[in-house]
Amino acid sequence: MSRDAHKADLIRFLRTIQRLDAPALEDGALDEHTSLVDSGLIDSLAVIQIVSYLEEAHGIDFRTAGLDPENLRTVAGILDLIQLRRAG
Amino acid sequence: MKRVLQLHESERLIAFAQRALGKLLIWVAVAVLLTPFKHTEAVLPAVILTTLFPARRRALLSLAGLYVLADMVLRRDDGQAWSAVLGTLIGAAAVLALISFLLFRVARSFERLPAPVRRHPLLWLHLAFWCLAAALWRTPEGTVAWRLQLLVFGLLPFLIWRASFLLLSGQRGKVAGTCFRDHLFYLWPAFGGTDVPIGKGFDYLTRHEAQTGAELGRSQLAGLKLLVLACLWFVSLEAMGGVVHGVSDDGLRRALGGFSLHVPHIERLLRGEVSASVPMAWLALYVELVRVCLSLAVTGHVVVGSLRLLGFNVFRNTYKPLLAESIVDFWNRFYYYFKELLVELWFYPTYLSTFRKHPRLRTGAAVFAAAFVGNMYYHVLRDRDLVARADLDTLLRLHAPRAFYCLLLATGVFLSMLRQQSLRGAPREAPPSGFVRLRRMAGVWTFFALIHVWAVTIPGSGLADRFDFLLFLLGMGEAGVQP
Repeated sequence: MSRDAHKADLIRFLRTIQRLDAPALEDGALDEHTSLVDSGLIDSLAVIQIVSYLEEAHGIDFRTAGLDPENLRTVAGILDLIQLRRAG
Repeated sequence: MKRVLQLHESERLIAFAQRALGKLLIWVAVAVLLTPFKHTEAVLPAVILTTLFPARRRALLSLAGLYVLADMVLRRDDGQAWSAVLGTLIGAAAVLALISFLLFRVARSFERLPAPVRRHPLLWLHLAFWCLAAALWRTPEGTVAWRLQLLVFGLLPFLIWRASFLLLSGQRGKVAGTCFRDHLFYLWPAFGGTDVPIGKGFDYLTRHEAQTGAELGRSQLAGLKLLVLACLWFVSLEAMGGVVHGVSDDGLRRALGGFSLHVPHIERLLRGEVSASVPMAWLALYVELVRVCLSLAVTGHVVVGSLRLLGFNVFRNTYKPLLAESIVDFWNRFYYYFKELLVELWFYPTYLSTFRKHPRLRTGAAVFAAAFVGNMYYHVLRDRDLVARADLDTLLRLHAPRAFYCLLLATGVFLSMLRQQSLRGAPREAPPSGFVRLRRMAGVWTFFALIHVWAVTIPGSGLADRFDFLLFLLGMGEAGVQP
């Protein structure tokens, strides 16, 4: 699966957890390096839903490597994590 | 108004802050703005030196941290002269340096640790702490070793949470390639703080560290803004003491001809020292919530403001909690770095390792691990002298009301989280009206004001006294306060 395909899947997931008062998330409208929390797209607690998504959809196990919430702040960070764990 | 509040983001001002005159004015402003606050004497010299030698920032902060450590020891020994406590100071510094160095080596060699330790590093850290405590409890009272033990117990609760973040950095592979002196600046921070590590640890601080003159200028202006806010809230608290509580004679009260609402402090009501009507007791509850928020904002703004002035542009500790519209939002805004401590050291580890197939149970277990277990554990550990004496009986009695507070808090946060999760991703609705928002805020105020009744630590006032007070608030009892 390519990075673009992972990104499309991730954006679909982010739509399901975005804040009620945030503007609708359009394909390609979100800069990969924009902070998801600081931009108001999601709230800080939605991070745990991203963790569950990464565990279920990508088989990432955070128990050994630890969870650094900073890695989950941006789309780029999440995609890097997916690629890193898949490569590992 | 918005432009004034965002002055620290002005490119022209940031450019000015990098010039010689700009730097000088910032130092003068720091000297003036820190005047009302105790134990901040290390901050101004540290700001001046780190501005002049930004490449030596961490080394300079480590030296300033040593001064702060020495000052802590002196304060603990009732302000005795340096010479009188020199032996204890050197002993404590040696023991703590050894412990810190061992922890650093563990974090740096994280990959080579046994699998159970890699999987649960924080559990092993606290196990090691309690093993050390058990060994120290056997020391006979009155000896030099006993005195050293008290000191180590006094300082360890401060160190252990910083050490926890160091181990997490090790787990994330961020400590490899660093040396011990890279970590000293936050283990004994010159910028202050309570046992809660404001600014968390190595990862978070270095990620927000200014790398250019412009970044330092922006960070320092943001720091000044927080110090201004700290002064403003400090003055407001002084005014509250006079006009609201009637316990001090501040300028505003004098200007109002000595007027005061005479709202009693919750602690005095719980002790039964003063009487109040039911409406006045409710008012006292809400006033106490405002007072606690302002006090916390003052402390947090001074520490985070100092951190920003030193070049670490981190998030503020308290951010408009009284405007929160949900319990979980208030908890996030009220004491950010304590919440982060509980989330990173208790919530995430529990969330990642329990009930993975049951989302609600998983969230519930993690919330209770953080808001109930972690919260209680933090406060018990903070009672240094009782822990040093292994006085379990007093600890249990003193913290019983807080246990109930933590239970209520955890339940509230859990239910609020579930509600927020259920709302996410739903079809967009029109923004709530001002009335709806006010109603939500009132609900949040009431929840936190009420549970605060169990959060106040008052020797001799147990769980039953707090329930009596609740009944009184509901018009069903007397609770030691007569209308």
